[in-house]
Amino acid sequence: MLINIFLRSRRPNRRIMGPQSALTDFLATHNISAAQIRADADARRRAAQSNQDEPGEEQSDHASAPPPAPEVTVAPSPALPTRTRGRAATELTSREEKRKKEQKVIEKIKASKKFQKRKRNLDDSDDEDDLALAIFQERSAPLPGQMENCAVCGKRFTVTTYSRSAPDGGLLCTPCGKELDQEGGAPKKKAKRASGGPVGKRRQMQSTILDGTYRPGAKSLMTLCIETLAKNIDLAEDLGDLPPLVIDKIARKLSKHRLLNPTTLHLFLQPSAEEVYIYDGAKLVATDYIKIFQMVPSLKRLKIRNGIHFKDEVMEYLASRNIDLEELYLHGSNLLSQDRWKLYLEEKGKSLRSLRVYWTDKHFGDEVLSVLEAFCPSLERLKVSHNQQVTGNGIKEIAKLKSLRHLSLDLRNEVHSDVYVSLLSEIGAGLETFSLSRVPDADNTVLDAIHNNCRSLRKLRITESDAMTDEGFVRLFKNWANRGLAFVDLEKCRQLEASHPRENPDNVGFCSNAFRTLMAHSGRTIRHLNVHGCRHISESAFEDVFAPGKTYPELFKLEISFCEEVTDFVVGSIFRSCPNLRELNVFGCMKVRDVRVPRGKILVGVPTAVGMVIEGDDDD
Amino acid sequence: MADDGPSKYITLVSSDGFEFVVLREAACASPTIAGMLRNQMIEARTGRCSFAEISSIILEKVAEYLSYRLKYKDKLDVPDLDIPVEYCLEMIVAADFLGLDEQMA
Repeated sequence: MLINIFLRSRRPNRRIMGPQSALTDFLATHNISAAQIRADADARRRAAQSNQDEPGEEQSDHASAPPPAPEVTVAPSPALPTRTRGRAATELTSREEKRKKEQKVIEKIKASKKFQKRKRNLDDSDDEDDLALAIFQERSAPLPGQMENCAVCGKRFTVTTYSRSAPDGGLLCTPCGKELDQEGGAPKKKAKRASGGPVGKRRQMQSTILDGTYRPGAKSLMTLCIETLAKNIDLAEDLGDLPPLVIDKIARKLSKHRLLNPTTLHLFLQPSAEEVYIYDGAKLVATDYIKIFQMVPSLKRLKIRNGIHFKDEVMEYLASRNIDLEELYLHGSNLLSQDRWKLYLEEKGKSLRSLRVYWTDKHFGDEVLSVLEAFCPSLERLKVSHNQQVTGNGIKEIAKLKSLRHLSLDLRNEVHSDVYVSLLSEIGAGLETFSLSRVPDADNTVLDAIHNNCRSLRKLRITESDAMTDEGFVRLFKNWANRGLAFVDLEKCRQLEASHPRENPDNVGFCSNAFRTLMAHSGRTIRHLNVHGCRHISESAFEDVFAPGKTYPELFKLEISFCEEVTDFVVGSIFRSCPNLRELNVFGCMKVRDVRVPRGKILVGVPTAVGMVIEGDDDD
Repeated sequence: MADDGPSKYITLVSSDGFEFVVLREAACASPTIAGMLRNQMIEARTGRCSFAEISSIILEKVAEYLSYRLKYKDKLDVPDLDIPVEYCLEMIVAADFLGLDEQMA
């Protein structure tokens, strides 16, 4: 034996293979060998035969059964003495012995590898015994090719791999099997849900890390409960007496999972509610929106996102009812026609204090804005975002709204700076929020107008301006009669010039001097500062602003991403000067490599092995 | 009662009289409970907090949550605690009352 192995290992490449059929080749590529299958089947058949013939003999699972010849000669001898004892006694003892043998086999099954493997794959709480029994029955079932009696009609038939098993055990012949299928009696295998498993969980975690919303530790109890509720929302009939803040959280969660539909909408329509916030109205139709007004008569604040089906008929209904909204927020309501907008404002504009319209392109335009002056005397907040229709004329109309406190515009049409200047000269004094998103044409005159007119500004946003310069910003913030700002967003106010990216001869954009002046003006009050993309703020400017003597007590969130001059030292100085800083974003600041983050702070944007967010744990 | 510093454990009492003993540190994850155990309130002296509006089943789950939260504090890859659907809504009310809302640092 040893010699054989030796020889074989010495000459492994000498095995000559004869011609093989194409089918054999094909199966071999899939690791299926016909000879192997035949050998296995023979072994199984022999094992089954010996199981059935010899009640007193034990069979092992995977060892191939001894060849039939010796068995046949051995078998008769022990059988003879039992037969002489008498038929009845034989049958009794043989039944007992059979049961005992079955038990032993089942125990062996439980010890076998196949069982262990299947046990691991159990996705519901199947009994272990059931599983063992199932494997036992599989083994003792007659093999394909053998004759068997049908369990229902008793006919003899050949067992094939397609033979159905009867509900009570045993096999059915083909006609009976077909009948069973028609009845639908064959228990279907439970469809395995493609669960995320550990991969899905980890992906989710990585996603939240990159978002910057990752928090280690356990989720809050509220979050866990709301998630469970969201998963089983079809079981909920009524949300009961929950406080409005909780209801809002549940609404957000449901909307996030796209579970807000006409049925679940009911949960949020409480007769005594004053506000209805629908974060995803994609599955709601016009009648659902009308239902809101029917069921919540004292509605004051309405917010609908993705409210595509908020159509003319809904607006007509709203205008004709006794509901006097104070706040209206519509996102995506593109099917509303201009007439209906005007009708609503005419009927119900008196009580309106806040109007926010997002992503409506065609019908909310200058004409609608022109009626605001006449019909909405108490309008304090106006936001028109992602709108293609409003032009400079519309903005001139806005200039007539003397009561306006918060103005926010994100328009796609080109608007000349003069329009903004005249707007500010009219209503700038009362403005607390002034936000112009994506205004490439706005230039320094706008900044001067802000400087001259605005006295009560708290929040300022000007993004993506190509024409404003450092000088302009300096003029704005220097000796400005306005008190310090709390929120400043000057994202992407920088030079857009591909041919000489690093040189900025005209100092376009928000640069070093502007930064110094801004912080000198608003340093004491500023909470939230975003200078994303203002590449030309120099390292010395950062170092001056965050010098050892300076503190910015209110600064809570700072974003200086893509400011390429930021270094580790600057980041360290920032952490020192801003005691209450929670989050610092340095995405794309390539010179930041190795920074110690103090405890309680979050640094976003430095790639590490864990992700893009570093939670501070340094005790300095 | 011999008083050598505050005890490590406190007792939460439900509306129907069931008592649950939890670690003080675990229970103070809830701002409401932390407030009750502060200063010279009666609860601070006896180390017992009674909740007349929270039933025992809910309070038991709350106690379980508090221990679970302490166990997984600042760890990554945390398995979610299972909340049976039947108690979901009442748990939300209890969570709101106890202030177990946002993830606190």
